[in-house]
Amino acid sequence: MRSGYFKEHYSGLVVLTDSPAVKAWVAALLVVLIAAPFLLGNFALSHLTIILFTVVGVLGLTVLTGFAGLISLGHVGFLMLGAYAYAIGVTRLGLPPELALVMSAVVPAFCGLLVGIPSLRLHGLYLAITTLAFSHIVSAAILAGGNFTGAGRGIMVPRPSILGFDLSSDRAFYWFCLIMCALAVLITLNLRRSSFGRALVALRDNDIAARTMGVNLMRYKLLAFLISAALTGIAGALMGIYMSIVSVEGFPFLLSIEALAIIIVGGLGSVLGAVLGAVFIVSLPEMFSALVQLLGGRLQDVMTSSAHEVKSVLYGLAIIGFLRFDPRGLRGIWHDIRHTWVFWPLRY
Amino acid sequence: MKLKLTQLAIGLLAAGVCLSAAAQQGVTDTEIVIGDIVPLTGPPALLGVAHNLGVKVAVAEVNAVGGINGRKVRLISEDDGYVPSRTIQGVRKLINSDKVFALTSVSGTAQAKAAMPLIMQSGLPAMAPITTYEGLYKPAIKNVFAVGYDMADAVDELVAKMAGRYPGKKWALISQDDDYGENVRTGFERAAKAKKLQVVSTQIYKKGQTDFSSEILKVRQAGAEALLAGGVLGENVAMVKELERIGHKIPVGVTYVSRVPASAKLMGTAGENVYTVDYVYLESSPQAKGFMDKLTKFLSPEELARTNRYSFTGYAATRALFDAMGRCGKALTWDCTNAELTKVSNLETGSMTPISFSATNHLAAPKLFLLKADPAAATYKTVE
Amino acid sequence: MNYFIELVVSGLAVGAIYGLVAMGFAVIYKATGIVNFAQGEMGMLSAYTTWALATTLGTGSVWTVLLAVVIGALLGLICERLIMRPMLGEPVLSVVLVTVGLAVVLRSVVTIIWGASPHKFEVAGADDIVRMGDIGLRVSQLGVLGALLLAVAGFWYFLGHSRFGVAMRAVAADEKTARLMGVSTARVQAVAWASASGLAGLAGALFAVIYGLTPTVFELGLKAFPATVLGGFDSVLGSGVSGLIIGVFENLVGGYLSSTLKDVAGFTLILVVLMVRPFGLFGEKRIERV
Repeated sequence: MRSGYFKEHYSGLVVLTDSPAVKAWVAALLVVLIAAPFLLGNFALSHLTIILFTVVGVLGLTVLTGFAGLISLGHVGFLMLGAYAYAIGVTRLGLPPELALVMSAVVPAFCGLLVGIPSLRLHGLYLAITTLAFSHIVSAAILAGGNFTGAGRGIMVPRPSILGFDLSSDRAFYWFCLIMCALAVLITLNLRRSSFGRALVALRDNDIAARTMGVNLMRYKLLAFLISAALTGIAGALMGIYMSIVSVEGFPFLLSIEALAIIIVGGLGSVLGAVLGAVFIVSLPEMFSALVQLLGGRLQDVMTSSAHEVKSVLYGLAIIGFLRFDPRGLRGIWHDIRHTWVFWPLRY
Repeated sequence: MKLKLTQLAIGLLAAGVCLSAAAQQGVTDTEIVIGDIVPLTGPPALLGVAHNLGVKVAVAEVNAVGGINGRKVRLISEDDGYVPSRTIQGVRKLINSDKVFALTSVSGTAQAKAAMPLIMQSGLPAMAPITTYEGLYKPAIKNVFAVGYDMADAVDELVAKMAGRYPGKKWALISQDDDYGENVRTGFERAAKAKKLQVVSTQIYKKGQTDFSSEILKVRQAGAEALLAGGVLGENVAMVKELERIGHKIPVGVTYVSRVPASAKLMGTAGENVYTVDYVYLESSPQAKGFMDKLTKFLSPEELARTNRYSFTGYAATRALFDAMGRCGKALTWDCTNAELTKVSNLETGSMTPISFSATNHLAAPKLFLLKADPAAATYKTVE
Repeated sequence: MNYFIELVVSGLAVGAIYGLVAMGFAVIYKATGIVNFAQGEMGMLSAYTTWALATTLGTGSVWTVLLAVVIGALLGLICERLIMRPMLGEPVLSVVLVTVGLAVVLRSVVTIIWGASPHKFEVAGADDIVRMGDIGLRVSQLGVLGALLLAVAGFWYFLGHSRFGVAMRAVAADEKTARLMGVSTARVQAVAWASASGLAGLAGALFAVIYGLTPTVFELGLKAFPATVLGGFDSVLGSGVSGLIIGVFENLVGGYLSSTLKDVAGFTLILVVLMVRPFGLFGEKRIERV
């Protein structure tokens, strides 16, 4: 329990956290995550890998919708662009994987700029539809691309070796995703705390007032789209490598909605919320599988087909229940837990 | 505290190592576990659930006589919703967590492609009765055995047979914008070249489209006198009904994916001139009687209502698998099963034409026969 | 010329269905300020329920249509009371996400109860073809067009000339002032959901009659969403008309250009229109005071 806020150097004010307890906990978490491949089975490890690259993608959406308040329904378009940029770069253009990975950030970023232009004129739901239209146009363009984009067949992506490290084993790929995720989290956290982040939040809360205070709307909106698209593009490339095949079918519209659900259930506008939301929503189907298996072996046998629908129903109900009963999201619950931990046995 | 943690960690590691060093997975003295990965939810559930039921019937049938060499068979079904990433997850789970001995399906085309590296790496026997894309059996993969007809070849034969019945007609093609559509286009082009057909219109529609008024109007505008409808199910129904509405009654060919009772019923009067080819016996034919009896015996009425030709193919593929497994006797391993599967010869399953594999041919290529829709009876009947 | 007319007429028939669902979106947005992502699913559930009742009771065509509207309205009332009423006052994005959750639930419920196989929605005489000169339309398609016209006329009268309709417009303009004037927001919300769901049920049932009853009927909602945007979210009549516009435009593109461009064409049209009129063709311009 601290009783004061004294800093001797400027660097002390800028650091991410000054509490030794927080630093220790984060270090412990990192150790567990790095050691995870040795502790977990194959299936759990792949589940964790999925969570990691989902977090990267969702952080992209957080920058746009959480910080800047620009609702995007078509974020799956950026995901697709990133995945295809990587796949085309590696298979068609013969680029080394590192460069292809950079391309998977640059190409969506450029398209993000294009999508951002309507955002200067449109607000709220109309902007959301523009992003939706964009994702449809991207998938149509890919399908019409003939052999270059693989059209309906998709492109097979082999596991690469990045900077000399071979990623073909599940473990190596997991560590790579962990590094990418950590980088994304650091970038987004620092973005939020910088003047750029503050400008975005001002944009979200009241854009006309922000303009009066000197925030250049056009510049910040376009930059928000750019950064968001780049982050999501990298997540798309990771997803493509994981699935070994990049196809339009693998990136349905549902993913956009899932990403929105993640940031809202987690707590809109915060990085921690995005991470917690991703863990929760990605693990939800598995939790329900386990629940259904526990509850009734015979029940599962008799309605094998319906059991899967039942899982969907529970998934939908979980989201509804969550939003109904705790609008602060998982982040709010986390803060409650942390508060109790810090102050126990006192109440405040 | 530290010592306890280290001991715990070592204990867990040791347990993990021990578990992984077990004998052939999925086989105990009393039980064999097999896995099925199919779309059980969403629109493709129509074929996934039916396939799953066919596999269940094969399992029930073999368990009723005491199992394979005294071992009862247990089936674990995973749903991938026809999404490739979920197929990978599902296959991973089946092979690594549930530790199945064999797979009775690999879902659809894109899904199988995504999961293929996993399946090839593990080496477990996998049957593929739902999709038959070329990469699945050319070149033959040691542990993958496909039961079915190459979609491109099937379309090729359908168009050839129809061109024989309706010579000198101008043709039109409407196909989907995905893998399945590519196969349809390949087959159609092959037949068009071989029979020197005059093709006046080819259109590609986006998957999931429901309204085909503009496509069919264009077909009539181009002067086509025969159409190959390359949709899955609902699309073909819509196309055929549009033809009826604008009064352009021409013969239409559809792929065997449409050969489910629901499609003939939905088409109604519009389905008078609809043709397809298939290798699975018709539910009403005398050859299928034995299999239909088995379905009634082992399935409940609600489940029976969900069966269609995919139950036939699922059953046949599983029977082939069990046949090979049975010949391995007590020493049931992956290598033995894969070897025995290559020796399956003229296996009569009662649901489709006999199945044969060889060391170089992992596609049980059945015979195709021409069928025509019968709207009055809401089913298809053989024509030849 | 005949080709052009045929394309337009078919486009109108398809667009009418989009128009009905789009009107539903607009009604809910107008009354509550949220987008109901479960619109398509509510239409699908109503269609299936209507089919189940119609086949057991053996109702004729007119009665079946009325049944669809009634069941849709009931479904809307139930959803509103159980799920949306408790969310009154929560941030907009959360409420929208709740409708998404509702959509997932409804979709799965349909497949649990009725399975994944397609069914034929038999309505006596619906498949008969009516010939007007060279052009033929099915009775069901004429029915949809008629339903849309009725709905547009009905809503025009309701919103402009009836007490409750004016109350709804008041709530859309300024909720607090409307409540001070004695308008019950909860009741307005209930009526909005009921009428939107009634429209969706009607559209869903007619769609099922024309194209077959399958668990993919919910995609109707996603396809009609652009129509609402084109017309303007707060314009009910505009959304209805925009549905027709989109249907015709898509068909013309499919008939003269290529089938692959159909889907993209609709969205491109919206993008172009939005750049010129940022609040839709018939929407009201938002005046923001800082």
